[in-house]
Order: sequence, then C-alpha cells, then structure tokens
Amino acid sequence: MSNPKKPHVTVMRSQLSRARGLGSGQAGVGHWWAERASAVALVPLSGWFVIQVFRLAGASQPEVAKWGARPFNTTMMLSLVILTFYHTQLGLQVIIDDYVHGKAHLPAGLLMKGIVFLLGLFGAVSVLKLALAGSSRSTIAAR
Amino acid sequence: MVEFRLPKNSTVGKGRIFTAAPGASNVKNFRIYRWSPDDDSNPVVDTYEIDLDKIGPMVLDALIHIKNDVDSTLTFRRSCREGICGSCAMNIAGENTLACLKPIRDIEGDVAIYPLPHMPVIKDLVPDLDGAYAQLRSIDPWLKSDTAPPPDSERRQSIEERAELDGMWECILCFCCSTSCPSYWWNGDRYLGPATLLAAYRWIADSRDEHAGDRLDALEDPLKLYACRTIMNCTQTCPKGLNPAKAIGRIKELQLERKA
Ligand code: SF4
Ligand code: SF4
Ligand code: FES
Repeated sequence: MSNPKKPHVTVMRSQLSRARGLGSGQAGVGHWWAERASAVALVPLSGWFVIQVFRLAGASQPEVAKWGARPFNTTMMLSLVILTFYHTQLGLQVIIDDYVHGKAHLPAGLLMKGIVFLLGLFGAVSVLKLALAGSSRSTIAAR
Repeated sequence: MVEFRLPKNSTVGKGRIFTAAPGASNVKNFRIYRWSPDDDSNPVVDTYEIDLDKIGPMVLDALIHIKNDVDSTLTFRRSCREGICGSCAMNIAGENTLACLKPIRDIEGDVAIYPLPHMPVIKDLVPDLDGAYAQLRSIDPWLKSDTAPPPDSERRQSIEERAELDGMWECILCFCCSTSCPSYWWNGDRYLGPATLLAAYRWIADSRDEHAGDRLDALEDPLKLYACRTIMNCTQTCPKGLNPAKAIGRIKELQLERKA
C-alpha cells in the first residue's frame, strides 16, 4: 500500500533491465548439491543411530560410556552430528532466502549460522567428551 | 517479498449480483473478481447467474456471454479460444488454467474466477505480465549458432535430436505455471519462474544451438534458477500438460555435470 508520508519513487528502469538485474551470481550449484549429498549420507547414519538407541535402551551409565568410547561409535556419532547440523544450516538458509528480504537478509543468515554452529559444536564436544572420558575412566579402572 | 496478508487497498469486497432471466432452467453462479484502475475503490467479487443452456461448454464461453449480453464492463484477455494463444490464462476454481480449455461442468458449485495470482492487476482478469515477458526475453529465447547454416537448406536435426524438444515446444507461454509457484510469488523479482526456465532449457536442449554453456552461465544463480524448491505446482497446473519442473531439474543436473 502506498504510504502518503513517503515520497513515491518513480521507477523508469526498463523491465528488461530489472529482469537481468545484476546478472548471474555464479553460485547455487554447490549449495544445491551439498544439500542433497548430506541428505543421502544422513539416511544410513540416522538408521544406525536409531538402532543403537534401541540397543542401549535400559543400559547402565558405564555401559553407555563404554559404548561411546569405542572409536567406531565416536566416528559414526561425530559424522552424524556434523552432517546433521551442516544440513540443517543449508536448509534454514533456503528458508531465509525465501522469506527474509532486503537489509535483514544477511544478518538473519549470519545469526542462524552462528546458532547452528554453536549447537553443532556442543554436540561434537559432547561426543568427544564421552569418547575421551570413557577411555580415561577405563584406564583408571584398569589400574 | 512474502506477504501473508493482502494490503488494505487489495482486500476484496462484496460486489453486485446479476440475476438470471426469469425462467432460466440451468443456472450456475459465476463469482468474478472485479477491479478497475479508474475509480479509487477496492476490488470486489461480482456474481453472475448464468443459464448454462444458453452458452457453450467452456468457462470462456460464459465470460464472452457475460461481456456481450450481461455486463460489457467485464475485462479479460482472449484470442484463439482453442488453447493455443495463452491469453485467457486465469485462476478458475482455485487453479490456474485456460478459460477456453476449462469445461464448466468440471467445476462443482459456484465458479470462482480470479486473475493469475500475485501479479499486478491492470483491470479485472487482466494481469500485468510485462515483468514475466522481460524475464523470458532475458534468457535469449532464440537459436544462437555461430556455424553458418547450409546455403541451400535449413539447419538439420536427427529424429532423436528433434525428440529432445518434445514437451517443450508445446509451451504457449500462458504463465499459469509461474504464477502458481510460491517461489515465484515470494521472489519473482529475481527467480525466473518455471515458464522462462522451461524456455531456457528448450534452447539448451536444442541440438542446433551452440550456446548451451553461456545459457547455463546466465542461469547459475542462487535465485534465478535455484529458487525452484521442486514444489511441483507448475507441473500440476500446466493446462498443456507439460512438465516445467522436469526441465528445471535437467538444468540443475547439467549445472552439476559441467562442474565435474
Ligand atoms: S509450461 Fe505450461 S503453464 Fe507454463 S507457460 Fe508453458 S503452457 Fe503455460
Ligand atoms: S517445481 Fe520449481 S518452478 Fe515448479 S512450482 Fe515448484 S518451485 Fe516453482
Ligand atoms: S483464448 Fe487462446 S488460449 Fe484461451
């Protein structure tokens, strides 16, 4: 709706000039492909994780700690955490591109990426803590 | 830009009711969006009671009947009345389609008719498509070849090469698809939309064209091409049964292919 207080901006730029805009950004393929590749990688990782959750249901704390200290499990868990948050960030960026326009676009993307990064890092540190703490505890126990 | 609510001057009010002649036996209501730039009022929906026994089978027949016999101020575009010019594209019963190809009997209850969604309205059912046409123009929708054509004949294609263009040459540029696409609604200033991308792929796929690389360069953009989120509204609504979403998918595949 026109705002009577704001001067009306007359746009005489041609439609073709507006359609061509600033030309092509020469980007988009990487994002598009990374979204798909990470989604495909997450299918087996998530399946594996669900199976492990069922296997560990009702397990005692030391049992879970021992599970978390196995290098294979740590590798799988780290892959899962990193890819999940990487994929989340790609997906949320798409939503921001669709729905946030103008000056808010860049800060919204940065804020989102910062939050997702911190959450992902928190997940990764937790996995590592379990991995390293588990091993130190078992060495203590062995002593 | 996303707008979840209509601006104040676009909220649609109740309009007039044009009752059918007494004795009409087979009456159906046509509820039609009306807006004129000539007065300062909001759009309204007028209701026309139409005797289906008096008119042809298509929605366009009803519109022409209204314009000729009921209310000559009703404004809409049409030309070929056989689904080939693309000018009668509008939103009928919630779906973008061609009025001349849409049988009235396929619609249950009242027939709601609006202009193509999310485009500026010039008057009534006539949308302003200048921006969409300029986007089409921006992809250079013509053959670009540096090799001179044979002096005594046209440029030739094999049967297989020609078959590559099936499902694309049939596009009549009605823009039903682009105006059904949420990505085009939100980002239509930069996203080219399915109609234009189908046209772009039509030339990329043409064996006689020698500028596929330039064409892909021009499309490689986060919004121009990649704002397509594969929602598939375009393919669902195309009144010619074409599949713009598939053409867009092919462009994305080619963008990837040339990176490796
Ligand atoms: S693809 Fe279909 S809906 Fe889109 S412009 Fe062409 S004919 Fe119209
Ligand atoms: S497939 Fe792409 S072009 Fe078609 S409606 Fe969806 S987002 Fe729009
Ligand atoms: S009048 Fe030409 S497509 Fe409907």
